[in-house]
Amino acid sequence: MILVTGGCFQGKKAYAYKRFGILEEKGVDGAICEMEALYSAKLLYHFHEYIKRMMEKKEEWSLARLKEQNPEIILVTNELGYGVVPVDRFDREYRERTGRICCEIAKEAKEVHRVICGIGTVIKGG
Amino acid sequence: MFIVVTGGSGSGKSEYAEQLVLEHQTKPYLYLATMYPFDEECHRRIARHRAMRREKEFDTLECYTGLKKADASGYGTVLLECMSNLTANELYQKDGAKERCVEEILLGIDRLRTQCKHLIVVSNEIFSDGILYEKETKEYQKYLGEINRRLAERADQVVEVVYSIPILHKGDKDAG
Repeated sequence: MILVTGGCFQGKKAYAYKRFGILEEKGVDGAICEMEALYSAKLLYHFHEYIKRMMEKKEEWSLARLKEQNPEIILVTNELGYGVVPVDRFDREYRERTGRICCEIAKEAKEVHRVICGIGTVIKGG
Repeated sequence: MFIVVTGGSGSGKSEYAEQLVLEHQTKPYLYLATMYPFDEECHRRIARHRAMRREKEFDTLECYTGLKKADASGYGTVLLECMSNLTANELYQKDGAKERCVEEILLGIDRLRTQCKHLIVVSNEIFSDGILYEKETKEYQKYLGEINRRLAERADQVVEVVYSIPILHKGDKDAG
């Protein structure tokens, strides 16, 4: 498992395609894909949007299942949580939940990359 | 040692800070809790943090405003969590220091540093969501930003936690 994170519009996806030698058409958009696609995708981007949809659909998150069924996945996600606490309750829970899930993934991941201005820094493994 | 741990919401900074306390092994441990329990959501957050600290042998002292009055003498390690709550309390609570919050909080920090061997302060990054807030919230960001900078100046180590991964911005990882 590899996690690529960073702020929005930082070139995370392009960085990931290039760094890991993956064709763009192999990338799955977490904002619109089938929920099951997580368990077969080589690379899934907009993972934070995927988490949001999971919350809206009240679906369970299971790192154990992901580890078992798709241990080599590359997940690209926005780094949330660097702002003022949102007024809306769902927004608060969403950014908190994204953080907790990404912590779980980062602990499990063999590499974590953080991208700023298109430049990736390996912050774990690599 | 004075260590500042910062990061976004849900980044795992509390867990990391507690780990630091245990690594330094300088007992007794004091947890300075700053979150004012004004609703059910706060109670849940507080309960979650209490569960995380269980069996780690922390004494807990609540301090919502007036940090300089907190007495931590006799403690080996003090963990203050979280600076963003303390700053908000000083700004918005009745007995808060308002526009004097930066100086008052720093007085409290300097006093704590003389009382214990290790001080670990958890703060929060609330500065990068690109949203322009109204005056009050903007002021809050400004005050907390200034406090973070001035804490970092004093600190032996400054660590940002990104999804559970510590990134050292100041100091020597193996020191202390």
